Amino acid sequence: MSTENRVSPQADFIAAWVWAAFGLAVMVGAWRMDRLESQGASLYTAPGLVPGVLGLVLLLLGLLLALRSARAKGYLLGGIRWAPDPATRVVVRRVGVFLLLAFAYAAGLVGRGGIPFWFATFVFVTGFVLIFDWARRRAAGQAVKGLLRALAAGAMTSFVVSLVFQEIFLVRLP
Amino acid sequence: MFSGLVAFAHSIWSFVTPESLFYVFGSTLVGLIIGALPGLTATMGLALMTTLTLKLESSQALLVLICTYVGAIYGGSRSAILLNIPGTPASAASCLDGYALARQGHAGRAMGIATSGSVLGTLIGMFFLVLFTPVLGELALKFGAFEFFWLAVFGVVISGTLTGDDPLKGWMAGFLGLFVASIGQEAIYAFDRFTFGSRDLAGGIALVPALVGAFGFAELLSVMKAQQAPVKINPFDSVIPKIADVLQHWKTILRSGCIGTFIGVVPGVGEDVAAWSSYAAAKRASKEPEMFGKGSIDGLMAAETGDNACVPGAIIPVLTLAIPGSAPAAVLMAAMLIHGVQPGPMIMVQSPQFVYDVVAMMLFATIGILFYGLTLTKLMVRVLQVPQTMMVPIILVLCTVGSFAIAGRLFDVWVMLGFGLLGFLLRQGNYPMAPLVLGIVLGDLLEKSLRRGLVLSDGSLVPFFTRPISLVIWVGIALIIALRFDAVSKLFRRRPLTTP
Repeated sequence: MSTENRVSPQADFIAAWVWAAFGLAVMVGAWRMDRLESQGASLYTAPGLVPGVLGLVLLLLGLLLALRSARAKGYLLGGIRWAPDPATRVVVRRVGVFLLLAFAYAAGLVGRGGIPFWFATFVFVTGFVLIFDWARRRAAGQAVKGLLRALAAGAMTSFVVSLVFQEIFLVRLP
Repeated sequence: MFSGLVAFAHSIWSFVTPESLFYVFGSTLVGLIIGALPGLTATMGLALMTTLTLKLESSQALLVLICTYVGAIYGGSRSAILLNIPGTPASAASCLDGYALARQGHAGRAMGIATSGSVLGTLIGMFFLVLFTPVLGELALKFGAFEFFWLAVFGVVISGTLTGDDPLKGWMAGFLGLFVASIGQEAIYAFDRFTFGSRDLAGGIALVPALVGAFGFAELLSVMKAQQAPVKINPFDSVIPKIADVLQHWKTILRSGCIGTFIGVVPGVGEDVAAWSSYAAAKRASKEPEMFGKGSIDGLMAAETGDNACVPGAIIPVLTLAIPGSAPAAVLMAAMLIHGVQPGPMIMVQSPQFVYDVVAMMLFATIGILFYGLTLTKLMVRVLQVPQTMMVPIILVLCTVGSFAIAGRLFDVWVMLGFGLLGFLLRQGNYPMAPLVLGIVLGDLLEKSLRRGLVLSDGSLVPFFTRPISLVIWVGIALIIALRFDAVSKLFRRRPLTTP
């Protein structure tokens, strides 16, 4: 039924302790919250009650995962290859570049006052298409075509999104 | 019954206007494209359309969203059949036999089967929506704080159990979602929890940006990780559904419609489980189970009927309990609240006409998918050939706009990015997203119900365990959890007969 990844017991073992630590941190945070007795709060209306219980549940589930992965010898971390192989490095680089571009656009360009949304979108879409399509286009001798396609994609996207959201549906853009 | 028919006819008539019909066909087409394109999920599509419809009148906005929802679940079958890539998780089961049929030169017939299954599945689900909503609404009026608390827990536990491969990880995702919902000012004393001094966090984590992140941005990260090769689509014949295919497989259609609707009613489970469950049931009941996975008409019909029947099914608990039956239904519920519609037990008392309006919207959406299923195949093929390098940045732009536009806060864009990264990392570890989202939706209900219940019972936990409906629900939760342990499930397994 599933198409999910296979996860090693070692990965689960490490993740389990992260979950347990997180659950514990939530419990500590909840415990340290003001009980608001001066405002008439009782134990069962205290702000930290529900987060505390949720933290406890996450801690217990984390420990359960640690136990399960330990039974599958997940504690044997010595065999883990920490340096990724070349194929994995390519994937990590691709995802990393995308993340960088996404953060630069959504939180950088768009968030800054003075840069119109349409311009930020044009720069982002054009830049993205160029970065990820450039090598293939250049190898095929289509560098100019690739550049024009990227510019067209950027221009069309910024125009259509601005028109549809802002002008037709009256939705405020960043 | 007669008054119900009159109300339904009135609802249908109210949508027969040029504006409404434009929205029906426009949004169904948008839904179809969203569903067909890998990298765009129905949940994300609905979240973006929620933004687009903010300024519309509530009935028009919900019409757009329901048509988008139905279109998206149906649209996933296009890429499943033509490319062996599910456009949405709901169409994963359709890949098995749909693509096999396409490889045998029957892509057109497969698309016709998907169209007829989806149309009939939605109609069966609509029938149950009309039948069960008043009944469940009556039952829900008996629910108090104690019952709603257990219902919220049940939603997270059942969602974690049935989605993905690993219930333990599903529950962890669900309880994480419940925790995320507790961030911000709590309801009674407006005390800041886990805000770390941030004014934005004091407002809490908004649902729509979190959904866009978990289902949109996370999906884009997965698409960039996988990097698909350019698609090649084989030519295909007529896509018009054959009446013989429908008549020959009527039992499969009815069975899958019922299964899909029932699974839709279960909180947070959704269309992919509905499709797989219908597929598995059809295989068990089939006289040719060995054909499944090799181009079985029965298999494809079951998957497509089941996943589309789940759509009306998922709306039943939204209307009666204000608990979503699936992730897209969670967005629909959020949209209802934004537009001033209050789903929940009082809906049959305060606005019963609204339920018939929803059924009428589904009917129009069904007509929309039938129309596009018969006419729009060549355009869909072109859409599927749009390169990833073009599609991904455009979708990210839409994710950014969609997250920002609800409240006009840049903080929500950060939420989208953060949940996208979190969702991507959780997926790498095989943690399902649906329980996380359901936890965020149900967290407020769980907390309010628990605190209200404790105040009513003066701190006693006894009513939580002894009131009749609460008893049924918590015993159900305990059984669901206990059955995951081998020692307990062995007790319920049938022992083979031994000959003397």
